Amino acid sequence: MLATAVCITAGSSCKRSFLDVPPQGQLTEEQALIDPGAAEKLVGGVYNTLYFGSFGNNTVGFLWVIMNDVASDDADKGSFPADFGPAAEIDNFTFNANNFIFNNVWLGHYEAIVRANKAIDVLNRSTFDETTRKRLLGEVRFLRGFYYFNLVRAFGGVPKIISIIPPSEANSDAVNTRATRDEIYAVIIEDLQYGVDNLPAKGEAGAVVGRITKGAAQGMLAKVYLYRQDWQKAFDLSKAVIESGKYSLGDYTTMFREVGANNSESIFEVQTGPHRGIDNCDAVSPLFSNGQGPRSKGAWRNNVDGKPYDGDLGFGLNSPSADLANAYEPGDIRRGATIIFINPTVGGGPNPGTVLWDGFRIPTQDSVENPRYSYKAYHSPFKETPSCNGYLDKDFKPKNIRILRYAEVLLIYAEAAARLNNTGEATAKLNLVRARANLGPTTGTLANIWKERRVELAMEQDRFFDLVRTGQAATVLAGKGFQTGKHEVFPIPQAQRDLSAGRLTQNPGY
Amino acid sequence: MKLTFAFLFLCYMHVSAEGVSQTRITLKLDKVDLKQALAAIEQKSSYRFLYNEALVRTEEGISLNAYNEEVISVLDKILNGRPITYQVLDNYLVVLKNAATADIQNPDITITGRVTGPNGEPMPNVSVTLRGTTIGTTTNAQGNFSITVPDENAVLVFSYVGYTPQEIPVRGRTAIEVSLVAADRSLDQVVVVGYGTARRRDLTGSVATVSGAEIAKQPVLTPTQAIQGRVAGVQIITSGAPNALPTVRIRGIGTTLGGQDPLYVVDGVITEDIRNINNADITSMEILKDASATAIYGMRAANGVLIITTKKGRPGKMVVNYDAFVGIREATNLVDMAGPNQYAGYLNEASVYYGTGDSLVPASRLTGTHTDWFDAILRRGFLQNHNVSMSGGSERINYFLSAGYTSEEGILITNKFNRFTVRSNNEYRLTNKLKLSSLVSFSRFDLRDVDYGAFNNAYRAAPYVPDKINGKYGNTSAAGNVGNPVLSLEKVFNNGIGNRLQGTFGLEFKPISWITFRSSLGIDLDFFKKVEYLYKFLSDTQTFIEAGGNQQRGNSRLNITDNTANKWVWDNTVQLAKSFGEHSFNLLAGVTAEQYKFNSITGGRFDVPENRDQWYLNAGSLGGAVSNETGDKWTRNSVLGRLNYNYAGRYLLTATMRADGTSRFSEDNRWGYFPSIGAGWLISDESFMDGQQIFDALKLRGSWGRVGNDKIPTSLYYTLARLNVPYYFNGQEYLGISFPDVTDKNVQWEVTEEIDLGLEFTVLNNRLSGELDWYKKETTDALVYVTIPGILGDPDSRFITNAATFENKGFEVTLNWRDNINKDLDYRIGGNVGFNKNKITGLNGGQALFAGNVGGQGFVTLSDNNQPIGSFYLLEVEGILQTEAEVAASGQSGAKVGDLNYRDVSGPAGKPDGVIDSYDRTFQGSYQPKVTFGVNGGLNYKSFDFSFAGYGTAGGKIYNGKRAIRGADARDNIEAEIAKERWTPNNPNTSHPRATLNQMAASTYFLEKGNFFRLNNLTLGYTLSERLLSRVRINSVRVYFTAQNLFTITPYSGFTPELQTDQILEAGIESNSYPSTRTFAFGLNIGF
Repeated sequence: MLATAVCITAGSSCKRSFLDVPPQGQLTEEQALIDPGAAEKLVGGVYNTLYFGSFGNNTVGFLWVIMNDVASDDADKGSFPADFGPAAEIDNFTFNANNFIFNNVWLGHYEAIVRANKAIDVLNRSTFDETTRKRLLGEVRFLRGFYYFNLVRAFGGVPKIISIIPPSEANSDAVNTRATRDEIYAVIIEDLQYGVDNLPAKGEAGAVVGRITKGAAQGMLAKVYLYRQDWQKAFDLSKAVIESGKYSLGDYTTMFREVGANNSESIFEVQTGPHRGIDNCDAVSPLFSNGQGPRSKGAWRNNVDGKPYDGDLGFGLNSPSADLANAYEPGDIRRGATIIFINPTVGGGPNPGTVLWDGFRIPTQDSVENPRYSYKAYHSPFKETPSCNGYLDKDFKPKNIRILRYAEVLLIYAEAAARLNNTGEATAKLNLVRARANLGPTTGTLANIWKERRVELAMEQDRFFDLVRTGQAATVLAGKGFQTGKHEVFPIPQAQRDLSAGRLTQNPGY
Repeated sequence: MKLTFAFLFLCYMHVSAEGVSQTRITLKLDKVDLKQALAAIEQKSSYRFLYNEALVRTEEGISLNAYNEEVISVLDKILNGRPITYQVLDNYLVVLKNAATADIQNPDITITGRVTGPNGEPMPNVSVTLRGTTIGTTTNAQGNFSITVPDENAVLVFSYVGYTPQEIPVRGRTAIEVSLVAADRSLDQVVVVGYGTARRRDLTGSVATVSGAEIAKQPVLTPTQAIQGRVAGVQIITSGAPNALPTVRIRGIGTTLGGQDPLYVVDGVITEDIRNINNADITSMEILKDASATAIYGMRAANGVLIITTKKGRPGKMVVNYDAFVGIREATNLVDMAGPNQYAGYLNEASVYYGTGDSLVPASRLTGTHTDWFDAILRRGFLQNHNVSMSGGSERINYFLSAGYTSEEGILITNKFNRFTVRSNNEYRLTNKLKLSSLVSFSRFDLRDVDYGAFNNAYRAAPYVPDKINGKYGNTSAAGNVGNPVLSLEKVFNNGIGNRLQGTFGLEFKPISWITFRSSLGIDLDFFKKVEYLYKFLSDTQTFIEAGGNQQRGNSRLNITDNTANKWVWDNTVQLAKSFGEHSFNLLAGVTAEQYKFNSITGGRFDVPENRDQWYLNAGSLGGAVSNETGDKWTRNSVLGRLNYNYAGRYLLTATMRADGTSRFSEDNRWGYFPSIGAGWLISDESFMDGQQIFDALKLRGSWGRVGNDKIPTSLYYTLARLNVPYYFNGQEYLGISFPDVTDKNVQWEVTEEIDLGLEFTVLNNRLSGELDWYKKETTDALVYVTIPGILGDPDSRFITNAATFENKGFEVTLNWRDNINKDLDYRIGGNVGFNKNKITGLNGGQALFAGNVGGQGFVTLSDNNQPIGSFYLLEVEGILQTEAEVAASGQSGAKVGDLNYRDVSGPAGKPDGVIDSYDRTFQGSYQPKVTFGVNGGLNYKSFDFSFAGYGTAGGKIYNGKRAIRGADARDNIEAEIAKERWTPNNPNTSHPRATLNQMAASTYFLEKGNFFRLNNLTLGYTLSERLLSRVRINSVRVYFTAQNLFTITPYSGFTPELQTDQILEAGIESNSYPSTRTFAFGLNIGF
């Protein structure tokens, strides 16, 4: 008996098997990468980073929305005054480096970039056929370039991480120091250009709805060149998208609803759906829709098609500003498609409230916190795909996020043309966008194009960066507390500066 | 492994088959002496010989050939022609006698006698045995016994748990009176150590013992709660929650991850959860504190070891005991919250005067309703406990059988717990060489659990909203506030049922007197099933008094959890104990193997009907259905050895070594080696101490050793894939993978090196005993979550690695005084105090660890070099800004008169810069107490007994997280004290700032002293007179009244200074704690 016991200890073969216990029900990296489809699945994992949202690490989710739209003149913080202080700080430019929104946007983007780096590393080593490998690399590098584009616009120069960093190097100077803005733009341009060179165009072999296409890379790179003031390249790239003939302007009034998902105008759009993960619906950007939904004051309930719906439709944050509402020309169909207007309360008689496109009635002003809400973020609980938790769940609505539309490419083209003194082309493309909005023609001046960008792209997380890019921020945002020389970029998150032992330098003024 | 099990069981059966009565032997002797001949028979048969050495001293050799012959006939042949006669007693015991002096006619002597206790009282159930044999009996209720011995040279051994055994030579007497002395604290007390027992005098390590009687006395569920304050250097943090496992910290904290808990060993089974143990079944609990004592447990001993030994039967007539108590438990030390007017006043002042100008609480809402939300969610809970046990034994079998039932209502409405335990501990003496033991316990608990978030919501809920009227709930969320906690509690049914079977099966083989082989198999099967039903309710007038708000659940939901854990540990040891003259050796060597498997299945469905009979997953809808299964498995394999050597009983040496292999670390880092060495000197036994009158005992000891800690999640060193990471392509879900977490492939156990120096003494005629210990523990390669920069892409920005060094240094003093004033009155009083200094001495090259995120305040603790683990790192408050001039000078942008004034400590340039920012934060101490102390005492006067026990800590700090997080939601209620004392122009001399809706910065305003002293237990008992009882055939009856936590003295303003958390880096932040509770109980002990 003792001998048997000793065997467990001393017999080398039985010792080895006894103490070798692989993880139960989990896949190790070594096992996972044996799968021939591993590289492709890793790419799927990089797309998944587009869902980072809620109050946690964010890419293009809820906090990114707050950071951009609320900082701009398009939106006020919304909700009731005392709610969500960090967003209020952004609204009135009183934030500092400790505001958690910046930290979580930073974390979300780097988490996504590191996933992309991992996929790129595996793809570079994989034995896929060359076309597939390059296409997958093009998709991942597009996403990485896009994320760096967000970071550089938000924070200026940031650490340049384009390979796998082992934890042992976490403390090294190299990764804890900010690269310059130019160095980051070089990464962005190289990544996006790789996409331009290697991705299939929409409709070609390998291009699947939801995957990054050549057009997306061209359009995004064109936008990057606007920021670099390289008008010729912006012009050429946007021209290529236009001349590809793959895209056309759609119906603005339905474009942001589920029926408008991936319409003829869509170039880059975050795809969502009611997939259920282990803990929750995990194929959505959480709170993206609910965070911006109409917020009740007091109690009300309503129903559509006999489905009762109690309380409100969301947090009421990111409320479109009066200034935005007034920015539209008379007859612009985009005003009503962008903003949910809450009707004032009238004395006596039945109050009409606001009836949304799906038939849901929001009461009048005395029952609702804010006068305006984003229609572009609205996702109907009744007429569109419900959350995987059921239609009453508000946090996990599968709402696609529109990131790049053909209309913007037209406006990029117009702006580049105007800069290159090609007023004819600028006017032509500008008026295409205006005509779709039911507006008459105008001249393609820079001022007109910028004005058009605002109303066309309102509440789509572009306005703040656009104001900074075009030099309008100082005047337009002065009333909100914007300080020139400081607020063109947000502060480097203090938590990250602490972790770098001060090696991450702070932006001026913070 | 299955094969080895089968083999083991075959072994049992084989041995028992032949071991019952081996009376025929085959023997070949060739010129051996008589002693060798007898030994040969002993080896081959069940017979044992008892003789005087002088009797068998023969020169000539004995030669003999016997084939399958009766032992007696063989013996006859051997003794033929020698002046020796013999007598065969029970149990194959053969007594050899000198034929010349033996009284063949009357060989047996019957001795009668009486055993009494220290105060002359009769002691029933004392074991009386003939030394060197298994012959024995026990005393009856009057303390009387009668035993038959073979000759007048016999020696009787009297023993009783908790008393010093006495050996009395018969010397021809037929009547013997014995008085036993309590062994408590005495050097002769037998204590349980790892893989064996030892006399206290032989220990070189620091081991504390608490008797089962002390534990069973308190109306608490877990034994560790009952030893709070009993042992120097042991901090026990308790919670009043039913089924809570108290936190035990032995000699400070030497680790920061999940594994700060000590190792629990229950009858040899290593476990992490002792909530299945019925306190009434415990004989004793040993707390192993230093490396000399713990190193035998190697890789898991760094946090100290707690050994629990359960009761066994003793030879003698059956003893039956029934113990019970009934009582109530209630919350104490509650925090007063503002009433409706105070609440509205505070909020409106903050909003109207300092904020937007909107009145947050309109006067129309103040309709006279005043809800005390703590009253609404709390109640006085009823509790009861019943235990019945039977024990007894014969020479062959000892048995102990017990059953216990306990039930208690939590202080929170809907919270309810009950537990049933049954235990059967049996020992079978198969032959004189072979002993089989089986210790088995089964426990079943049934817990209706609750969401303790209710405490936090009660703290936050608006007091003008009613809790519940005529079955409809007040709508707090419609008032812009948190959800109604009464509703939250009542609309959930969360019931967990745990079944646990734990057992140790041991086989002990003693071929010759100094060798013992022992093989024991411990098993632990743990089954847990939870059914959670979430009722559907909408924010309409069917549920609420008024409709609205966001507290609703659109679909009912059923969640099921089914966990199975099973573990086995197989120990095989051999022990050699032998003396050569003044040298005595005791060598233990062994191997152990252990395996743990865990499996958890969870499932959930929406729309399951409310009818309880329908609470099955299949009754729900498929939308939103979830089903998950996860598992865990680890193995360990170890070799251990211990040598105890003593010279002349005065100079002691203990050396231990354990080699541990674990599946938890990568192959290169799998095996660890953990040695220790200890020495002791029994000064009082030296001849030069003979004359002195001061010391009854004096012992000096010291030890060094190295122990480990591997309590981290299994498979941590692997980079694991996250599977089924979704995205949508072409409207179809696509499941990708990712490797989000940064991992360290070289992660391994932590190593703690310990030094201990101790002095034990007994003075003043054994009345005062004491123990002093000094220790130093250094943990290197400590596993820590290192917060890593976001650029590494880890989702929570941290990973685990061996990166820190911690140090704990301390001093412990224990003193106990006991005395008898006279026959009717004795008393005892004792105290202990432990000082501990915890320090981080090396931290990942100097990178400090932030932790303790309190809402928008961010991290409030920082663990840095030369500071205790989890030190609070805060702005320092220097009063309140009283004038606009002070505001302007304060460097705080946006501050107003009435705000806190923070000290400008430093700036980017390393000196005060007129700006209040993160450079102005300083270390402000940690939750870890610098001092823990306990006092306890008792008094017996005639039939009355009285005892008390108190516990306290000093030097720890608490961050009042409930207050600190206020402002995250503007409509939260406010503490009455703050509302009342807040700064206003008319009340400038106060420590509380002006009314504000915003969250304040993390500062010392929220930091309070965590000192407390608690009267843990007070018991008054009365024992009924024997005269009265003898008529009803009852041995003893005692009735008692006991109070647990009669009072707590503390400067802390929150619910309790005892905060349990595994997250040691952020310990001591009170955000949602279970309040202190107080228990009153009335109890009864009956012995039959």
